[in-house]
Amino acid sequence: MRPGPSAHSVDRLGPLPTVATAIAAAAFVAIVASLVAGGGSISLPWAPTLGLRIEFALDGLALLYGLLATGIGLLVFAYGAAYLPRHLAHEGRPRAEERRFWPWMTLFLVAMVGLAMARDLILMFVFFDLTAVASYFLIGFDRHRPEARGAAFMALLVTGVSAVALLLGTVLLQAEYGTFSLPELFTRARPGPVTTTAAALIAVAALAKSAQVPLHFWLPRAMAAPTPVSAYLHSAAMVAAGVLVIGRVHPLLALNPVVLDALLLVGFVSIAVGGVLALAQDELKQILAHSTISQYGYVVVLYGIGGPEGAVAAALYVIAHAIAKSALFMTAGAVSEATGESRLSRLGGLGRELPVLAVASGIVAASLAALPLTLGFFKDELFFAAASGKGPLVASLAVVAAALTFAYLARFWLGVFSGPRHAEASRVPWLLVAPIAVLAILSIAGGILVAPFERLAESAAAVTHGSAIDVAPGYHLDLRIENVMAVAAWGLGAVLLVGARWREPAVSAISRAGDRIGPRRVYSVLLSALNRMSDAAHRAEVRDLRTSLAAILVPTGILVALGFAATPTEGAYVAGPITSADLPIVALLAVAILAALTAARDRGRLRPVLALSVLGFSLAGVYAVMGAPDVALVAVVIETVVSLVFVAVYSRLPGTTVGRPARAAAASHRFRNAAAGIIAGVSAFAVIWAALSRPSLGGSDAAEQIRRTPDAHGGDVVTVILADFRGLDTMVEITVLAVAIMGVASLLRRFDRA
Amino acid sequence: MSPIIDVVAPRLLAPAVMLAAALIVKGYTDVGEGFSAGVIVALAIALRYVALGRTRADRTFALARRAHLVAAGGLLVALAFGFAGVAFGRPPFTHLPLPGESVMRIGRLEITTAVGFDVGLFLLVSGGLTVLVRHLTGLMPADETEPEGDG
Repeated sequence: MRPGPSAHSVDRLGPLPTVATAIAAAAFVAIVASLVAGGGSISLPWAPTLGLRIEFALDGLALLYGLLATGIGLLVFAYGAAYLPRHLAHEGRPRAEERRFWPWMTLFLVAMVGLAMARDLILMFVFFDLTAVASYFLIGFDRHRPEARGAAFMALLVTGVSAVALLLGTVLLQAEYGTFSLPELFTRARPGPVTTTAAALIAVAALAKSAQVPLHFWLPRAMAAPTPVSAYLHSAAMVAAGVLVIGRVHPLLALNPVVLDALLLVGFVSIAVGGVLALAQDELKQILAHSTISQYGYVVVLYGIGGPEGAVAAALYVIAHAIAKSALFMTAGAVSEATGESRLSRLGGLGRELPVLAVASGIVAASLAALPLTLGFFKDELFFAAASGKGPLVASLAVVAAALTFAYLARFWLGVFSGPRHAEASRVPWLLVAPIAVLAILSIAGGILVAPFERLAESAAAVTHGSAIDVAPGYHLDLRIENVMAVAAWGLGAVLLVGARWREPAVSAISRAGDRIGPRRVYSVLLSALNRMSDAAHRAEVRDLRTSLAAILVPTGILVALGFAATPTEGAYVAGPITSADLPIVALLAVAILAALTAARDRGRLRPVLALSVLGFSLAGVYAVMGAPDVALVAVVIETVVSLVFVAVYSRLPGTTVGRPARAAAASHRFRNAAAGIIAGVSAFAVIWAALSRPSLGGSDAAEQIRRTPDAHGGDVVTVILADFRGLDTMVEITVLAVAIMGVASLLRRFDRA
Repeated sequence: MSPIIDVVAPRLLAPAVMLAAALIVKGYTDVGEGFSAGVIVALAIALRYVALGRTRADRTFALARRAHLVAAGGLLVALAFGFAGVAFGRPPFTHLPLPGESVMRIGRLEITTAVGFDVGLFLLVSGGLTVLVRHLTGLMPADETEPEGDG
């Protein structure tokens, strides 16, 4: 038993959770109200030149996920209002830290509703990423614990990097069909390699989000989050976002049967990996996390089976699972809160002390395990019906999957609530139990009267499948294939449950093997290699001034050289005649060359600086003679400032004799310096030569700008370009300048004596 | 510090500002714009700070101590001139008068909103550089030019 915080401080509800819960309730009511009003849609131009629209519609799929996100959100928020103060008190953190929690939860809810209703792929990507950002802060809420920070980072990396695949797929589709809008894409898309690649990329992003193998490993780590986060994000929201995307873009995926078969494969592997590992776990939330991997595997399998049966079964599965899993997560949190224990091996026999919790969680566990008289029974009925239509292999895999689910859920519930008692339980506040009871009542209600849930699933499936669907789940007391499969699954599950003696060594061996060679291991190896590479590059770059300069100039030179190698050179390098009018330029350039040689060769301190200054001024003179007075003016003032700054800085340095030995030591790098200088110099030479060889303005932007300058009431083209034609560029540049000045000034202020 | 610089430095600011003003108002029809003008004024201020030292320069030129406000104000002025049109349904950086309309003149001076944007740019550059100059001269060893008993 852990020392409980004083009831007074934790039972008072703060304003933040109240507001967040009110927002969730309002959103739920709004969705129900618009359902009654017959749906609706919004379509506003966003970036018309890019063909982007803000396009929302409350269709069947949006309704399903919107109701889940707001309805379960409402219950979890209410639960969190009671849970979070206790959590903070246990962690010894002030109550005020709640403000780092509720805004992110609310943002997550909004993003989830937005994702459910978005009809535009770019809009979907934005909300998809918004959920990842919010989840980062929620998983890392206990930021003083390194494992929470690591888990948050892992979830962000895995789901965020794979979200880039969604963007890539989106852009591919846009390039091929010229639209981001999903309804338009569905009418235009044809089977082909581009469509298949785009569909596969979108599926990868969705599968990573739904924690499917091999990108599943972030989810168990994410259990470092406080329980309300897991109950919401990792049952009904974050992981559901992935299958939501699959359900939304399913017509594109279905254009190529290979993509659907890949979904089938990934789904079954996830069911197996998640199910077996769930049997191996001891910590309650870890069992549930692996169960989530497995359960979303079912949904992915159903989308892989496709067709009307698959679509409607997937939709019903998502509903039943979200209701049950969030309740189970909240149960785990309530049990840990009551006993201070979170491991199955240290819990047991709590049924007598927490009867309401035991019954409620028993009902939702039964629903997830698809026992009759619960909503979950129908999800498995449809699942078995869809699987049996796909042949005996898929059908038998489905039975094994359901058996695994039955076994680990029974192990979870029996382990906590039955058997000998290992830990004392204290009283649990009603707000930690009531949401679970509500979800249990929903599960039972769905088991008796499935029609409302069925209609919701059918309308969602109609969006996924593209046409209206009618299924009739119900209880049939006969030997039809679904019933036979269900009974076989329960039997096999019971065998798995009872045979603990041979089950436990097997599953723990698999679990150990997964730790050693699994994808999480690949992730950590890759991450540390990337980190080492970044450190090495950083060290090489900042070692001294020369390497800093070389880091800019050498890659630039190499890239320019590659660019030139790929460009036709005809007429690019013209050596024109030198007339008497060019003499001033020749003279100025000769001065510039001498100054450059002096700057490079002289070993003094001030002389190279003055030589650089001479170089700059003579180049400014060249600009002036060549007819670019604006550039010349800027070059003169900048050259003056730079020379002054050099002199000012040198006046602060210690005497030159100290510097001599350092120079001698650097002699070993002479070859490297020369190579860097030659690469940079030759590429700059080539660029300038090529540019000066084509002085023609015909048809270019510049010619157009010169033509329009009088229209802008200007006489000086450069100024008009800066202030008018490209005024927005200038604005951004001077904003950057202001920020840079602010940064330098704040650094200087620390050393300023005044 | 040479006596010439001591005499010239404090008196250079006024001509510098004059030159800057010329660069800005002429800028739209002739060479020059707010950026160069800002740097020139900042150079004159920098010379003053180097010649007189931080303390005396601060005392004789109070505006330099508010240079950060000048810079911020400049950014706001530039933003205002750039985006004012948005409030009237025009794209950003629509300068008035529009093409084809006649330009308001004061003598030979042409008044357009583009000049206003340039003034903002000038204030930002001159103010920002002055902030840096003040801090940099603050890093210098205590000024030897400070006459004893002068304050």
